[in-house]
Amino acid sequence: MRHDVQSVSTGQPSRSTRRDLVRRASVLGVGLPLAAAMGRAGSAAAQSTPAAAPKGTPIKIGASVSTTGSNGRTGLYQQQAYKLWESQKNAAGGLLGRPVQMVIYDDQSDPTTGSKLYQKLITEDKVDLVLGPYSSGVTLAAAQVTERYGYPMLVAGASAGEIWQKGFKNVFGVYTIAQEYFKDIINEIAKKQGYKTAAIMYQDAVFPSSTASGANDLCKAAGINVVVNEKYPINATDVSSALTKVRDLDPDMLIGGSYLPDSVLTVRQAKELEVNCRLFAFSVGAAEPDFYDSLKQDANYILGPSMWEPGINTEGNAAFVADFQKMFKRMPDYHAATGYAGCQILEKAVTTDGDLDLDKLREELGKLEMKTILPGEYKVDGTGKQTGHIPLTIQWQGDKKVIVTPDDLKDGNIELPTPSWNQRKK
Amino acid sequence: MGAVTAPSERSATTLIAAGAEASVSGPAAKPMPAWEAYTGWVYLVVLIPALAVLVWLPSVASAYTVTLWLTVLLTINLASSWNVLSGYGGYVSFGHAGFFGVGSYIGALLLYYDKLSWIPAMIAAGLGTSLLALLLGYPVLRLRGPYFAIAMLAMSELGRIVVTSWSSVTLGGDGVYLPIVRFQRVKEGADWWGRVGVIVHNNQDYYAMLVVAILAVMGAYWVGTSRFGLELLSIRDDEVASQAMGTRVVRVKIAAFAASAFFPGIAGAIYARHVGYIDPPTVFGIIWSIRAIATALLGGQATILGPIIGAVGLTLVSERVWASDPNLFQVVFGGLIVLVVLFIPGGLISLLQQWGALPRSRRI
Repeated sequence: MRHDVQSVSTGQPSRSTRRDLVRRASVLGVGLPLAAAMGRAGSAAAQSTPAAAPKGTPIKIGASVSTTGSNGRTGLYQQQAYKLWESQKNAAGGLLGRPVQMVIYDDQSDPTTGSKLYQKLITEDKVDLVLGPYSSGVTLAAAQVTERYGYPMLVAGASAGEIWQKGFKNVFGVYTIAQEYFKDIINEIAKKQGYKTAAIMYQDAVFPSSTASGANDLCKAAGINVVVNEKYPINATDVSSALTKVRDLDPDMLIGGSYLPDSVLTVRQAKELEVNCRLFAFSVGAAEPDFYDSLKQDANYILGPSMWEPGINTEGNAAFVADFQKMFKRMPDYHAATGYAGCQILEKAVTTDGDLDLDKLREELGKLEMKTILPGEYKVDGTGKQTGHIPLTIQWQGDKKVIVTPDDLKDGNIELPTPSWNQRKK
Repeated sequence: MGAVTAPSERSATTLIAAGAEASVSGPAAKPMPAWEAYTGWVYLVVLIPALAVLVWLPSVASAYTVTLWLTVLLTINLASSWNVLSGYGGYVSFGHAGFFGVGSYIGALLLYYDKLSWIPAMIAAGLGTSLLALLLGYPVLRLRGPYFAIAMLAMSELGRIVVTSWSSVTLGGDGVYLPIVRFQRVKEGADWWGRVGVIVHNNQDYYAMLVVAILAVMGAYWVGTSRFGLELLSIRDDEVASQAMGTRVVRVKIAAFAASAFFPGIAGAIYARHVGYIDPPTVFGIIWSIRAIATALLGGQATILGPIIGAVGLTLVSERVWASDPNLFQVVFGGLIVLVVLFIPGGLISLLQQWGALPRSRRI
C-alpha cells in the first residue's frame, strides 16, 4: 500500500459541468486522474446538499502517521480518519471556502523519521496547518519541529503526559493523558470488587510506561498493593518470565501498559501459563476490534480504557461511523475517532478565526471549548493538556465490547471476577 | 561479507617491503591519465567548490534540504570510518550502529543533564566512544572473519540492551528528550554579519556535521596515503605475513578500531542533537551499520573517495525512493547491495578505474 503524498480530492457541486471540472482541476494543479474526480464528485453530490464549491488554492494540512512498522495497525485508523475528513470537507464546500489538501506521510513508527517528515511538511511542502502523528514517541520528536516553527499541533494520536511537561506552546491534547487511563478501573471497579493486590507489566517505551506509572500511582492512592512492576522490551516476543512471577504471587489484577501486539501476546501467554488473576486490563489493545479477532473467546472478561466507542451518543458520531465504514469498509476504532476529533477541533478553531494565522490559531486552541464526537468535550489547560475528555472503560463479553464505566455512558454491567482459564467454556 | 575484497592489487605486504609509496597498479591497468601526477591539485579544484556549496547551502535551501545533506554528511562519516577498519583493515564490522548509538547517548545525556555546553559534549561523545572501542578492541580484534562480524553485531546489541536497562542514567526505553534549540530570526536592519550569525545559529548541527565530515575525509586521505594504511592493507591480505614483515599488528588494529569509532560517535551525538529526541531502538538500529557498509561497498571499499561518492549517491537516491514508497525503499536498498556485491565488488570507483576515467592511485 502506498502512503505517500495524498492527492487532492476535489469535491464538486452537483451542477458542475465536465468542463468546469477540467478547468478547476487544472487551476488547482492537481495530478488527480479526472475519472477519479468525476467518481468522487458524483458520490459526493448524491449524498450532500449542494454546497458552494471550494475555490482558490487548497489549504494544505500536513501530517505524518505510522501506517507501517510496529504501530502501523492502529496508526492506519488515524490516517484514514484524516482522509475521511478531507473528503467530507471537500464535498461540503471546503475549509474557509477553499479546498482541503491533506499531505500525509508514513513515518514507519520511527520517531526520527517523524521528526524529519514534519520538517519536510513545514519547510518543503509549505503546509498551512499540521495535525499530530500516531504514538507518543513520534509525537515527542515531531513536537520539537512544530515548536521551532511555531505550528500549533493537535495531538490526535498520542497521550503520554510527558508531551505536556516540556514547556511546549504548540501542543494541544485531544484526549485524556496516558497516566489516567486506568483511573476508572482502579478507582471504581477494583474498589467495588474489593481487590487489594495488582501486578503491572509494561512495554519499555514512552506511552506504555506512562500508563503503567499512572496505574502504579493510582494503586498506591487507592491502597492497592503492587506486587509486580515489570517492564519488557519493545517488540518483545516472550513475556513469560514476568507472567510466571505474576502467577506465583497471584495478585487480584493484572494491568498491562501495552500496545496491541503485546496485549495479545500477554493474554496468550497468560492462558498457556494459567495466570488466573480476577481482573485483566490493557492500555491499548483491549479496545481494538483486532484484539478480539486475534484472541476470540480468550478476550472475554478483559477490560481496557477506550477513548471512544462507536455506539456512544455524541453529536455527529453515528454519521462518522457510517461514513467511515462506507469509505474504508471496516469499523473505525477509537484511534480513528480521536484523529477525526482532531480534525473537527482544527476546523472549528480555523473557522472561528476566519484565516490561517498560526498565532491566532494557537490562542484559539488554548481557549476553545467544544463538543466533538468524543465523549466529554474539548478543553485544555494552560499547558495544552486535555482536561474535558471523558475516557470510557470497556469489557469484552461474548463477542461484544460493552462499555462498563462511566455510569452515564455505560451500556452493560461489568462481569467479574474473571473465571480461571480451565473453568472457561471452550 | 568477509570474502568481499577490492579488485586484485599487488600485495600490500610486498609494497611495504619494497618501500613503495605512490601508486598501486595492476598488471592489466590502462595507461595512467596525464593528470595522475596532479591528483592533489585535482582534489583542490573539485573539493573546494563542493565545500563552498555545502557551506552556502543553508542560506538558500529549505530546512528539509539541509537535513537531507546533514544525512549525507552523516553517512560520509559512518562509511569513511567503517572503511578504515573494514575496507583497509579487512575486519568487517556489523557493529558501527553500536558506536553511533553510544555516541548519541553520551552526547545526548551530557546535554540532558546539562554537564557540558554542546560543542564540548559532542567532542566528549566522540572521545568516549573511542575510549570504549580501545577497551573492547583488545578482546574483539583477536577474532577474524565471520567471528569478528558476529562479535561486533553482538556488541552493538549489547550496547542497546545496556542503554535500555540502565534507566536510572539513560532514562531507558522512554528515550532522551533534549532541550529545544530555538530559531533566531534575522533582526530588522541587521548587517551581513548579523544575517550570517543567524544562519549559522539556526544550522549549528549541519555545520558541526560538515566539520566532522571534513575531518573524517582528511583522516581517510591520511590513512589511504600513509604507511599506516599500507600496514592495514597488509593485515587484510595476510596478517601473519604482515607481522613477520615487522608490522606491529595489534597496535595498528586497535588504532584503526578506535579511529573508526570516533567519527560515528561524534556524528551520532550531533545527529541526536539535531533530531532532539532519541530512544534506544532508533539509534542502535542495525540500519546504521547496514548504511555504513552499503555506502562503502557502493562507492568502493579501501578507497578514499568511495565512501563520499557512495554517501551522496545512496542517500539522495534512497530519499527519493523512500519518499514515494517506504516499503519499496527496502527492496531497492537490499537489491542494490546484492547487485553491487555481485557485479562490481570494487564499487563505483573500481568501475571508473576500469574505464580509465580514474587512475589506480592510492590517492583515489
